[in-house]
Amino acid sequence: MTPFLASRRLALALCCLGAACRGEPPAHRGGILVVSAGADAETLFPPLAMGNQGRAVTELLYDKLADIGPGLNTIGDAGFVPKLAQSWEWSRDSLTITFHLDPEARWHDGQPVTARDVQYAFRIWTDSAVGAVQRSSLSTVDSIAAPDARTARVHFRVRTPEQFYSFVYTLIPLPAHRLAALADTALHDAPEMRAPVGSGPFRFRTWTPRVALELTANAAYYGGRPQLDGVVFVIAAHGATVAARVLAGDADFLEQLSPSDFAQLPRDGAVRAVAYGGFDYSFLQFNVRDSTVPGRPHPLFGDRALRRALSMAVDRATLTRSVFDSLARPAIGPFSRTQWTADTTLRGIPFDATGAQRLLDSLGWRDTNGDGVRERAGRALAFSLLVPASSRPRQAAAVLLQAQLKAIGARVTIEQADFNAFLDRAHRGAFDALIGGVRTNPSPRGVRELWGTPGPGRGTQNWGGWSNPAFDAHVDSALAATSTAAVRSHFRAAYQAAIDDAPAIWLYEPRMFAGVHRRLTVGTLRPDAWWSGVGAWSIDPAQRLPRDRRASATP
Amino acid sequence: MRRLVARVLHAAAICTVVATSVFVLLQFAPGDPFASALDGSDVPPGVGAEWRARYGFDLPPGERFIRWSGALVHGQLGYSASRHRTVAGVVTDAMPRTVLLVGVALVIGFAAGIAIAMIQARHHRRWPDRVLGALTLGGVAMPEFLLGLLAMTWLGARWRLFPVAGLASLGDVATWPLWERAIDLLWHLALPAGVLAVSIAARVARHQRAALLGVLHEDYIRTARAKGLGEWDVLWRHALPNAIGPVIALLGLALPALVGGAVLIERIFGWPGMGLTLFDALLARDYPLVLAAVLMTTIVAVVARTLADGIAEWMAPHRAPVS
Amino acid sequence: MAAPTWHRLRDDRTARTAAAVLGAAVLAALFAPWLAPFDPTLQPDPIALRLMPPTWQHPFGTDAFSRDVLSRVLHGARVSLGVAVGAMLLSVTLGAALGALAAVGGRWADAAVSGVVDVFIAMPRLVVVIALVATFGTLSPWWLVVLIGGSGWLTTARIVRAEFRDQSPREYVLAARALGASRWRIIWQHLLPAVAPQIAVTAALALATVIPLEAALSFVGFGIQPPLASWGNILLDGTDYLTTAWWLVVFPVAAVTLTVGSALVLADRLRAVIADEQRAR
Repeated sequence: MTPFLASRRLALALCCLGAACRGEPPAHRGGILVVSAGADAETLFPPLAMGNQGRAVTELLYDKLADIGPGLNTIGDAGFVPKLAQSWEWSRDSLTITFHLDPEARWHDGQPVTARDVQYAFRIWTDSAVGAVQRSSLSTVDSIAAPDARTARVHFRVRTPEQFYSFVYTLIPLPAHRLAALADTALHDAPEMRAPVGSGPFRFRTWTPRVALELTANAAYYGGRPQLDGVVFVIAAHGATVAARVLAGDADFLEQLSPSDFAQLPRDGAVRAVAYGGFDYSFLQFNVRDSTVPGRPHPLFGDRALRRALSMAVDRATLTRSVFDSLARPAIGPFSRTQWTADTTLRGIPFDATGAQRLLDSLGWRDTNGDGVRERAGRALAFSLLVPASSRPRQAAAVLLQAQLKAIGARVTIEQADFNAFLDRAHRGAFDALIGGVRTNPSPRGVRELWGTPGPGRGTQNWGGWSNPAFDAHVDSALAATSTAAVRSHFRAAYQAAIDDAPAIWLYEPRMFAGVHRRLTVGTLRPDAWWSGVGAWSIDPAQRLPRDRRASATP
Repeated sequence: MRRLVARVLHAAAICTVVATSVFVLLQFAPGDPFASALDGSDVPPGVGAEWRARYGFDLPPGERFIRWSGALVHGQLGYSASRHRTVAGVVTDAMPRTVLLVGVALVIGFAAGIAIAMIQARHHRRWPDRVLGALTLGGVAMPEFLLGLLAMTWLGARWRLFPVAGLASLGDVATWPLWERAIDLLWHLALPAGVLAVSIAARVARHQRAALLGVLHEDYIRTARAKGLGEWDVLWRHALPNAIGPVIALLGLALPALVGGAVLIERIFGWPGMGLTLFDALLARDYPLVLAAVLMTTIVAVVARTLADGIAEWMAPHRAPVS
Repeated sequence: MAAPTWHRLRDDRTARTAAAVLGAAVLAALFAPWLAPFDPTLQPDPIALRLMPPTWQHPFGTDAFSRDVLSRVLHGARVSLGVAVGAMLLSVTLGAALGALAAVGGRWADAAVSGVVDVFIAMPRLVVVIALVATFGTLSPWWLVVLIGGSGWLTTARIVRAEFRDQSPREYVLAARALGASRWRIIWQHLLPAVAPQIAVTAALALATVIPLEAALSFVGFGIQPPLASWGNILLDGTDYLTTAWWLVVFPVAAVTLTVGSALVLADRLRAVIADEQRAR
C-alpha cells in the first residue's frame, strides 16, 4: 500500500473511531461508481427522457418533489419520501395538495428551488409542442399556484386514488431561471440540455456521446453530500462487452445480468448478483387487424378461438426455463407480478398441445396436403413473427415458439428487424405477430395505453388493435374507483378479460439481477428504478482503485 | 499537373455518385429518426409532424436532396436528429478515432505481413514457410469479429492484460502528463488495432509471398546471387522493391474497406469511430449523418487510392526492366 | 482451362488435398439431409438437453435450444456454401462480362466501367450490404446471393480487363481478326479460355471472401434467419457462450477455416501454376 493510501486509511480509521464514539455510522467516503451501460441517454431533458438510461441519469441530476417509497405504494401518499418538498398537506376535499419546498434545496448553480420552477415544469410538461412522454399522467392537474417562493399549491380537477403518485412520479421541477428565456420547442436540443443544471445529489460533469457520461457529487446537496465522489456511465454497444466490463472489474455495476453472464461470474466472488424484482413482461402480440386492408379483421387472428388455440399450444414454462434458466417466470397476463394489482390466481390458458390440436381440428384447420401445415379454405396456418434484432432473449423465444407451433401444424417465419424498423412496423400495424416487451410502472394504469381500445387518449401503444369493451369498462372503473379494494378488483377483472380473449400469448417476466462489484455497498434496489438509492451507495475505502482518483478541479 | 487535376475531378465525381446513390437508397428505408421517440407514445400526431418538419423529413425526396447538397456546398453538414448535435460535430469526433485505429492497424499489419512474407520466401518450402503459411491461412479464414470477441474475453476480461473496451482509462486522466495519456490511449488501442492488424497481416503476407516468389525467378535475382550476395540481402534489396507493387495496390483497396468496415471491431471494443457511427446512423435512419459519414469515408478512400496509385507509379521506374 | 495447366494442377499434391477438402465440404452440403443424424430444427428438450458437450450421440454437442450441432453444421454448409457458390458464380460472371466490355468495348465503355469500379471500391462492402438489408428488411438467401455477388465483381473485372488487353495484340487474336471473326467469337473462343485460369483464381478467392462475410452479417443480425442454419448464425449463437460452451464456436469455425483455407490454397496453387506456364512460354 502506498504511503498515500496508508495515511488516508489511518485518518479514516480515526474518523471512524470518533464517529463510532458519537454513535454515528462510519464515514465511507469517496470513490467513483462506474456503471456499465448498453445504451446512451438519448437526451438529458427530463420531459423527453424515456429510455432507461435517460431516466437513470436524469433522476440522478434532478430531484422530484417526493419519491415513491420502497413499498411502491401508489394509492394516496403513504410511504412517499420527501425530496424537494419537505412536507405537503391535502385540502379537505382532496382536490388541492400544498407542497412546502425544502428551504435548503438549491440548483447546482446555487439558486434556490422555488415554486416557480414547479409551475414552469408543469407548463413544459403539458405543452403539446414539447411532446413530453408522460403527459397524460398530468391530465388530472388543473393548475399550480405559487402563493410564495416556497409553496406550490397544486389544484386537481378530479379526485383519483393515484393522483398524488401520478403528479409526483412524473413531474420534475426544472430551473425556470435558466430555461424560461428559451422557446418551449427549442428546449430539447438546446445547449443547456447538453450540460444540465439540476437539483439532485449529483451534478453534471462531462458527456462524450456513446462513450461515457460523468457525474460528480453535489457537495451542497440539501439531503447531505452523497457518499460517492461521482458516477460514471460507460457505454458499449455490444452486449458481451457491457457484461465483460463488470466481470473484469473495469466497472462496478451492471443493471441486468443475463443467464450466460451468471455462468461467467468470477469464482472469487468479486462480482455478486443482487436480485431486485422486475417490472418487465414480454408477450407474443397478435395483430387482430388485417395489415394490408384497413378495417378488416386479420384473416387468422381476428378469430378469438384460434388465438386461444395457439396460446394453448405454447409451453411457456419450458420456454421461460430454456431462455432464462431460473432468471424469469412465465407471465400471467398484461401485468407484472411486482405490481400491487397483480394476481397470480387468475385463470390462464393452460398448456395443452393435444387440446390445441383438437380445437384447431374443430375450427376447421386441417392438414389436407400432408405438408405438416394446417389449412382452411385455401389459407395456410402460416404467419410471420416480427422480432427486434437488438433483443437476444426475444430472438431465443421466437426460435422456441417457432418449434412449438410447428408441432401443432402452424408455420411461423421469423422476421428480424432493427429496433427502428421494428417500432415503425409495429406502429403502422404492418405485422402478423410480434414479440413485444414492456417495462411497467409501479402504477397499473399503463395497461390502458397498451391494451385499451385504440382511440383518443387510450390504446396509443396497442399495436395489435385488440378491442374489448368489457376490458375498457373495467379499466375505466378501476381508474375512477376511490378505494384500494375497488381498484384492485376492477383491475383484476380487466386482467381476466384480457387473458380470456388472448390478444397475446403472455410469455415471460424476467427477474432483475444486478451485477455488483464487492467493493460497492448498495442498499435495496428499487425494482422500477435501481438508481434511486445511489446517493447512499458507498465504496469500501480499502478497495479503492486508481480510477477513483478524480482531478481536484472543483465542480 | 494536368493529371493531378484530372484525378481530383475524378475523385469528386465518384464522391458525388456515391452520395447520390446512398441518398436514393435511403429513401426506400422505412422509418425515420423519430420513430422510436414519437411513435408509440401518447404524443399527438401534430407534434410528430412538427418535429419532422423541423428536420426536413416532410419534404419530398428530391427537394430534400437539393436542400442537403446546397447546404453541403456551403460547408454545412446539417443536424443529426439521432445525436442532437451538428453532423460536423459528430464526424469530427468520430473520424480521428477511426483514423487512429485503422492507421495503427495498417502500419503494424503491413509491416508484420511483409516481414512474414520475407521469412516465408527465404525458407521457401521448408518448415517455417509451411507453419507461417498455415497461420496466415487461419488469419484470413477466421472471422474478424470472432477474433475480437476472443481477444476481449480472454486477453481483456479473463487475464486482465488489456482493458476490455473504451478509449481511455477512467479517473483523473485529464491531469496526467501527455506521454502518460498517450500510453493509456495505446493500451486501449492495443486489442482492437491488434485484432485488425492480425487480419491485415495475414492477407498482406499471402499477397506479398506470392509476389516475392514470382519475382525470385527473374534474371536480376540470379545475377545478384551470382555476385555473392547473401539470401537476405537479395530479398531485401532486390526482390522486395520489385515485389512491393501489388501490396501497395492492396493498401489502396484495403483502406476504404477498413474505414467503414471496422464497424464490428469498433462495436465490440466500444471504439466509436466512423464505422460504428455510420452503422448506428443507418439503423436510426439519420439521413444527414449517414450521408456525411458516407461522404467522409468515400473521400478518405479515394484519397488513399490516389496516393497508393501514385506511389506505385513512382516506384515503377525503379523496377528492373522485364526481360 | 488449357490442358497443360490442368495437368500441372492435378499433379500438385497440395492442390489435390485442397480440392479434396473443398469437395468433401460440397458433398457434405449436398448430402446433408442424409448425413445429418437429426433434423437441424428439432428441439427435443430445450431444458434438459440444452448446451450439452460433445457425446457419442451428439458428436458436436447441442446448442442453447437442444438442437444437434453436427446436423446444424451440415445443413449450415448447404446454406453457407450455397450462398458462397451462388455469389461467386454471379460475381465472376458479372466481372468477366464487365471486364470484357471494358477491354473490347472502346474508350467510353472502358471509362464507364472504370468509373463504376471506382465507385464500388469507395464503398465498404459490409456497410453497403447492411444498408441494403436495413432498407429492405431481412433477406432470403437468394437476395443475399444477389447482394454479395453483385458487389464482389471488382477483382474479376480488373483481371479480365487486364488480361484481355494483354492478349489482344497476340498473334492468334490478330490472326482470328484477319480471318474475319466477329468480336464476340474472338472473346468466346480465344480470349476467355486464355483468361480462364485467372478467373478460376478469383473465383476461389471470392469463395474465400463470401463465407466470412455471411458470418459477419449474421453477427449484426442481418444474415440468414432462423430456423435455417448457416455457419454464420451458428457462430452468432455461440458467441453468447464463448467461455462455457466451446463446441458452439469451435466446430463452425473449423468448418469455415477448412473451407476457406482450401479455397485459398487452391487459388494459390493455381496462381503458381499459371506463373510457371507464363515463364515456360
